[in-house]
This record gives sequence, C-alpha cells and structure tokens, in this order.
Amino acid sequence: MRSLGRYLLVRTLLTIPMIFVLVTLVFLILRVMPGDPVKSSIRPGAPQEYIDEIRHTLGLDKPLYVQYGEYLWDLLHFDLGTTLSPVRGQSVSEQIWEHFPATLELALAGILVTAVVGVGAGAYAAHHRRSVADYSLRLYAIIVYAIPVFWLGLMFQLIFGVWLRWFPIAGRISSLAVAPEHVTGLYTLDSLLTGNWVAFKDSVMHLILPAMTLGLYLSGVFVRLTRSNMLQILKMDFITAARARGIPERTVVYGHALKNALIPIITMMGLQFALLLAGAVLTESTFSWPGLGRFLVERITYRDFPSIQGAVVVFAVLVASVSLLVDVLYAWIDPRIRY
Amino acid sequence: MKTSQKPSEPTSLLGRLLRGAYWYGAEWYWTVTGGVILALIILITILAPVVSPYDPITTVGGPFERPGGGQVVLLAPKGSGIASREGLAVAVFYNTTPSVIAEEYGMTPRPYQVNKDLFAKVRAGEADAVLLSARDAAQALEENPDFVQVGEAFGPRFLLGTDNLGRDIVSRLIWGARAVLAVAILSALFSAAIGVPLGLLSGFFGGWFDRTLSLIMDSIYSFPGLILAIAVAAVLGTGVVNIAIAISVVYIPTYFRMTRSQVLSIKEELYVEAARALGARQREVLGMYIFPNVISTLVVVFSLNVADAILTEAGLAFLGLGLQPPTPDWGFDLNKGKAYLPRGYWWPITFPGMMITLVALGFSLLGEGLGEILNPRLTEE
Repeated sequence: MRSLGRYLLVRTLLTIPMIFVLVTLVFLILRVMPGDPVKSSIRPGAPQEYIDEIRHTLGLDKPLYVQYGEYLWDLLHFDLGTTLSPVRGQSVSEQIWEHFPATLELALAGILVTAVVGVGAGAYAAHHRRSVADYSLRLYAIIVYAIPVFWLGLMFQLIFGVWLRWFPIAGRISSLAVAPEHVTGLYTLDSLLTGNWVAFKDSVMHLILPAMTLGLYLSGVFVRLTRSNMLQILKMDFITAARARGIPERTVVYGHALKNALIPIITMMGLQFALLLAGAVLTESTFSWPGLGRFLVERITYRDFPSIQGAVVVFAVLVASVSLLVDVLYAWIDPRIRY
Repeated sequence: MKTSQKPSEPTSLLGRLLRGAYWYGAEWYWTVTGGVILALIILITILAPVVSPYDPITTVGGPFERPGGGQVVLLAPKGSGIASREGLAVAVFYNTTPSVIAEEYGMTPRPYQVNKDLFAKVRAGEADAVLLSARDAAQALEENPDFVQVGEAFGPRFLLGTDNLGRDIVSRLIWGARAVLAVAILSALFSAAIGVPLGLLSGFFGGWFDRTLSLIMDSIYSFPGLILAIAVAAVLGTGVVNIAIAISVVYIPTYFRMTRSQVLSIKEELYVEAARALGARQREVLGMYIFPNVISTLVVVFSLNVADAILTEAGLAFLGLGLQPPTPDWGFDLNKGKAYLPRGYWWPITFPGMMITLVALGFSLLGEGLGEILNPRLTEE
C-alpha cells in the first residue's frame, strides 16, 4: 500500500519522537545543568522566602521527575507558563505569539532573496562550468558562509543606512502610528490587504536590509546545492534529447534542467530551515527586529527562564514541523517517495 | 587551471604537496590559501605579547581615534621660546587622545570642556601651550595665527583607530584571536571527544543502542545550533571552558554522524573480515582496523567544524553571551561597536568582523581542500 495518506501518517508519527527528544533536551539544559535560573533572575540579597516562593510557583521545589511530568503535560496543552521578569505573570505563549509574525515575515523575505540569488547563481555556475564565473561563484559560496551574518548586517547598516541613507537601520516600521491593522501580523502583507500604501512603503523599506542580510547569508549554501544538482541533471538523457532537437541552450538549461533541479532544492531548503532560524536570531538582534529571536536574547538578559524555555521549545517544534511539511510536499510532488 | 606540461609522477608526499595544483585542480589553491591564512593567524596569536602595539584592555588614546590617527601636536604662542615639552602645563580637551597622553610625555594636563576655546586659556595664562590631535592642528593654526607648532607631531599612532574606550583596535584584534581560537578549538575537541567514540560504538554494535543514539543525535543535529548554544550558555555562564562546552554540545552530532556512517561502510570491508577470521577481538577490530580509517575524514570534519565553532562563538559574543569583558573578543567588540554605528564610526565594527571572516574562511578553505585531497569521492561533481 503506497498511498500518500499512509506516508503522511508514518512521517507524522516519526516527528513525535524527534520533538520529544528536543523538548527533553531543553528540560535537561535548563533544569538539570548547573546554574540556578531563579537565583540569577533576582537581585542578589533578596530574602530567601521570596526566592522560595518563586521556586514554588514555578514548581522547582518538586522532585525532578514530577517537574518533568508537569512540563510535558503543560506542553501538551500548549501551556508555556508565565514570565518571571521584567514583568511577572504574563503568559509566555501570548508573548511568543506576538513576536512570531515578525520572524515569519523576515524568514519569508530572506528565503525569497536566497531563492533568487542562490538558485540563480548556482544555475549560472553549472551552465558555465569551469569558467571564471563558476570558480568565482563557488568561492563566493565559501566566503559568504564564513561571513558572520550579524557583521554582514552591520556593514549593510553602515553603507546603506548611515552613509547612503537609503534605508532605515532598525525596527519594522517608523512608528506604530502608521502600522497597518492587524490581519496576519506581517506588516507588508497587512498593509497591502488594507490598502495602506504609506505603511506598505515604510515596512518594505524596513524589511529590505534585514532580508538581504539573511538571504545572502543563506545563498552560499544554495549556490552549491543548485550547482551540483544542475550538473547531475545536465548529464541526463532528456537534456541531451532536448539539445538534439535543437532547443536553444538557454531554454534547455534554465527551462528544462532548472525545473527538474528545483525539487531536490526545495527539500534542501527544508533542511536549511534550522540555519535560517539561527541566522534570523542574529539578524533580528542586529536590526532590532522585534521577532522571536530578539525576544529570546532579550529574555536571557533578564534571566526570564520560562520565556527562554518557551521560545526554545517553539523553535524546536517549528524545525520539526517544517521538516515534516517539506517531506510531505516532496512526496506529493514525487509519487516515488512512499513508505 | 592546468599546467601545460604533465609533471613526472610525484613519489614523495612532499612532491605531491608541491605539485598539488596539477593533481587536485583549483581547489588546491584554496587549500594553500586557507593554510597560509591560518599559519599567519596562529603565528600572530603565539607572538601576541610581542607584536601587539599596546595593551588591549587599557585606554591608550581618546575614544574613536581614526585609523592611522592618534598623534598630537604642541601649539605654543609665537615667541614664547618653548623648546622642550617637559614640565609644561598644557590645555587639552577631556577624554581625547591629548588628555590621555599629556602626562605620559611629562606635561601637566589642564583639561577643559570640548566647547571651550583652548587658545583663549593659553592667552589668559592658564596654560603654557595647547596640545591638540594632529588632524585638527592645521585648521586650528589657521584660526589662531598667533600660535606656532613646536616640534614634530608625536605620541601613539593607531593603525586601525581606537574604540569607544580609547583602546587600540589592532591590539584588541591580535589578543582577540587568542580567545576566539582557544574557544573554537577547545569546543571542537570536546565535540570530537564525545561524538567520535559514540559514533564508533553506535556504528559498530548497532541494535537498539544505535537506534536510540541516532534518534537523539539526529534531533540535536536538526536543531538550530546557535539557539541550542544560547540556551546552554545562558545556564552555564561565561568563561572560556563554559562557552566551549556550550558550543561543543551543538556539534557532537556532526562527529557522531560522520563517524557512524564511516564505520558502517568500513566494517563491511574485506580487510576487517580478514582480521576477524584471523581471530581479532572486537576491541582490536574497532581500534586497529576501523578507527584509523576514520581519521582522514575526521581531519576534514574537524577543520570545517572549527570554522563553524568560530562563527557560533562570535554569534554568542555578539549577543552578549560570550567571554566576560574586558577580555578582547571580536564578537563582543562588534556588539559594543554597533551602538556607535549610527554616528558613522565605521572602524570599530569593520575590522573585528573581517578577522572573524578571515579565520572562519581559513578553516573552511583548509577543510574543503583537505576533503578533496584525502577523500576525492567526497567531491560534489
């Protein structure tokens, strides 16, 4: 029985242990490793009763296995607890939900840049194999991978923000007053949907530099992937056949070959999602982009460990879901992939 | 990229190294470039106390002294007869290079607010002369024709300028290399020390142990490394060893997966079967027949991994989770410099980033090239 439904089921069931391992890892890191999150979140010299009270509210005074059970139980109910600082008692899941659209918007824009630059350059390199352009693009792929993404962002801020004054260097929008009505939380999309052109222009201007930073950072990997995939496909019989029929080389390479190379590239994009998230955390910090990554880093400075735990768990679930999604998509495109 | 003439078959390793470009193509030049970059950086790291012009953590000039700047000039009233700078009371601005170095050159600084006219102070007799940074001297003399320059420009020269605290950037870069390399190499060693044995055992024995371990390692591998390191670093705190541990957690699966897959293919080889047939024990098969064959791939993975570890370390430091200041650290210097970027101070953020890129690039190029040379099957073509 090789149905898509069965594949979907098996693949989903395989995601569960992965999420379980990651969630357990987060628990181990934050509660079992040396270091007391509660003590470090409070001013030194605070009365012991106060510390004990917080430990009690967080359930940290219970035995470890009880804590672990409660932690898993809460996660099953999408309960990520409440914050410790800077303000006590806010819902962590609400805060994460508030910050999520910003990260999503940045990630999507970054993927767009990567797809255009990385895939385009990779296909070109494969087309002109062993030419100067090929070697330069391969070198570009290696160099861009070695550039710290946050430094790339700082250089863009310096050149395009401070010297040329083309783009703003911080935030998602100039002021909340021009922010579009909340529909999806993606400012560019929302302003389009509500026909708010001022907000659209403003949010696009804010988005360009972070998206370029994140996109170029990832593009190196895609230049290599696209190039090697294209090289394999260009050796295939149907390409020779297309050439023999007198179809222009350009059409053969960028039409026939690239179209077929795209399927594995999309899968790879799923695998690079983790890299994208790590890049997003740094890009967000560079551009004061109010997303999940910046939220995580900000809460670390406050030692707000329920928020840290919540954010990391959300990242873990995100990675697992995207890898599931990509695999299912792949199976749907290519019927040969079945269990 | 090919030499026109086919060289004679090289016999020694040295011969192969020298004629590398013929045998391995353009990738050979990348390997050499990577090797040279790393050799230079490691040399500088070892010689840091000798080659560093200043102490990296003390204020040696004014804040944000431009690259190549930092020297000062002494301006005195015409006909004052001042010949030597010792013992003079000089008018200077607060928190500028002149105020920092006046005492060093045997003068008594009389610091004033930046908006005050230093020349008026001298005319009023409150000071003997004006000590000014060399870059402002020409205009100051034009505006005050009754003053002349005494002697040559003197004082320190900052090749790449100073940071917000007036610390020499060149010195911070040189000493920063120590911290970054220490953390990156230590963390790669930690990861290898845990990942390789686990991978050997897992691949060799298989079974439920292998399946469980593979699931755990694959899960960690799929997770964004930096975020994992952030979580560990947030709990463990700062310090070279703690940061190295935080980073090493991320890369254990890299070594595990590589070793395991190598073991899986090597253990099917004929020579392993032969060793078994001759009565080798499990331990001997694993230690003497399988492990030595993993080493060549391990070297490649190690080199590429150090590049990753450097970038992760820089990322952690940039987020303020790195080494404790004032330890010179490139990532942390970028974090500090970021705040002053809108005012156009480009030098504190440009050079540390270049260094991170250069070192990460060196390890990447070396790793890529070694991969090509030690294991040509790895090539993507």
